[in-house]
Amino acid sequence: MLDETAPHAGTPPPLQLRDVTSGYGAAPVLHGVSLSVAPGEIVALLGKNGMGKTTLLKTALGILPLKGGTVLVGGTASAGLSPARLVALGVGYAPQEQPLFPDLTVRDNLRLALRSDRDLAAGLDHAASSFPFLRDRLRQRAGTLSGGEQKMLILARALMMRPRLLLVDEISEGLQPSVVARIAAILRAERAERGTAMLVVEQNLDFALGVADRWAVLKRGEIDDAGPSGPAMRGRILEHLSI
Amino acid sequence: MLILLDVVTTAAILFIVSAGLLAIFGVLKIINFAHGAWLTVGAYCAVVAARLGLNPWAALPLAFAVGAALGTVAEWLIIRPLYRRPLDAILATWGLGIVIGQLITLAFGRDVQITPNLLGGTVALFGLDYSLYRLFAVLAAVLIGGSCAALLEGTRLGLKARAVIMNEALARALGIDTARVRLATFAIGAGLSALAGVLLTPLTSVDPNMGVAWLIGAFMLVMVAGGSFAALAVACLVFGAVQVLVSTFVSPILGSISVAVLAAVVLRISPRGFARA
Repeated sequence: MLDETAPHAGTPPPLQLRDVTSGYGAAPVLHGVSLSVAPGEIVALLGKNGMGKTTLLKTALGILPLKGGTVLVGGTASAGLSPARLVALGVGYAPQEQPLFPDLTVRDNLRLALRSDRDLAAGLDHAASSFPFLRDRLRQRAGTLSGGEQKMLILARALMMRPRLLLVDEISEGLQPSVVARIAAILRAERAERGTAMLVVEQNLDFALGVADRWAVLKRGEIDDAGPSGPAMRGRILEHLSI
Repeated sequence: MLILLDVVTTAAILFIVSAGLLAIFGVLKIINFAHGAWLTVGAYCAVVAARLGLNPWAALPLAFAVGAALGTVAEWLIIRPLYRRPLDAILATWGLGIVIGQLITLAFGRDVQITPNLLGGTVALFGLDYSLYRLFAVLAAVLIGGSCAALLEGTRLGLKARAVIMNEALARALGIDTARVRLATFAIGAGLSALAGVLLTPLTSVDPNMGVAWLIGAFMLVMVAGGSFAALAVACLVFGAVQVLVSTFVSPILGSISVAVLAAVVLRISPRGFARA
């Protein structure tokens, strides 16, 4: 269990999962998961492969239907709401699986994050302020970017949505340490500037503990342990992640 | 030169007839077997426009509007629950086509209808007197293809449609209302089909079953085109050439059969058709 949202001047938590059961088809992957992300808070969701981390993100975004429990997004129950409605409520998503449209240009991938092309110039400026290389690559097909550049494009697109809650799925996977450090700095800056709350699914423990205020370990679809971030937590978390 | 003109104009007519079917198949991944019925609805819009004393060209926007409106209702009531059941969608759209045909029969009877000529006469070209309307068909095909390309490449709806084609799950995750994109696509595809029905009226007799014959050819072209308007244009040129050449030098009956045989051969060699060739 992890439900330690601190009171935040009456603002409802951007994300609250209460006793959530969810999964693919008939078999549930998540079993009674409770988890909250407070305004401006970054929570790292850790766990080995196949434990339900991505399933939790997809459930929070309404891609997977709830089989039990409640998901509240900014205080609004998400049951029955489409992903389009939840995105309109302020949820941004940086997915891990097939995260880009490789045959579309960088510019078009970014355009898809916006509700109107009237916001395009400001949005591109915002993206380029965090990821300057994008400014020169707007006409390039996204599939031809390097792995690290693609990850940055995924994050830039999610941030262009100006989300109140950002769901990030294993953004550091396969990246060299310098790019990981850059992404961590950008996530921290986004939180500092806009107060964006984030739920960051990760396998990279150093990255996760570096950006998050709190962590939770998901094991076989249940929250196995949770606590505040900090170097002292490393050993405790590794115990959960070891084979 | 006559052969070349026949090839180009035949390809243009095939493109006009197939564009609506391709728009729906490209985005929605279902074959709309009611396509022939929408062609017929469009042709009967020309009949209605004539009875109302309207300018014959007014039938074009009228048919597009009627086709799109009927397409909206059909998508909402019949097609929407069947996107994950494409075989059922084939049966449902086939049935819908039969119902539309019967309703047209009830309203207008089985008789062949007469429509005013959109563009009559011939024009001297390369020393030949050639049908002005068949040349206009080339312009119409270019306009339809150009409009579809502009819609796909130059608008947000087009961008969203391309995103849905490429990766619908990701499109949904980014907040794109994929149901609305599907609805708009089906309506536009149905509108294009009805528009094609009007454009066919100078070339074919208008009766309640007129769409069926065109449906089969359009279906084969769309299968060979594989979901791309550029590939559809290539397929129409190749199939149009084969049809004209075989019809001219061998037999008109074999000309029609040769298209079906060529479609089977192309799909046997390249299952994704011309789109990836």
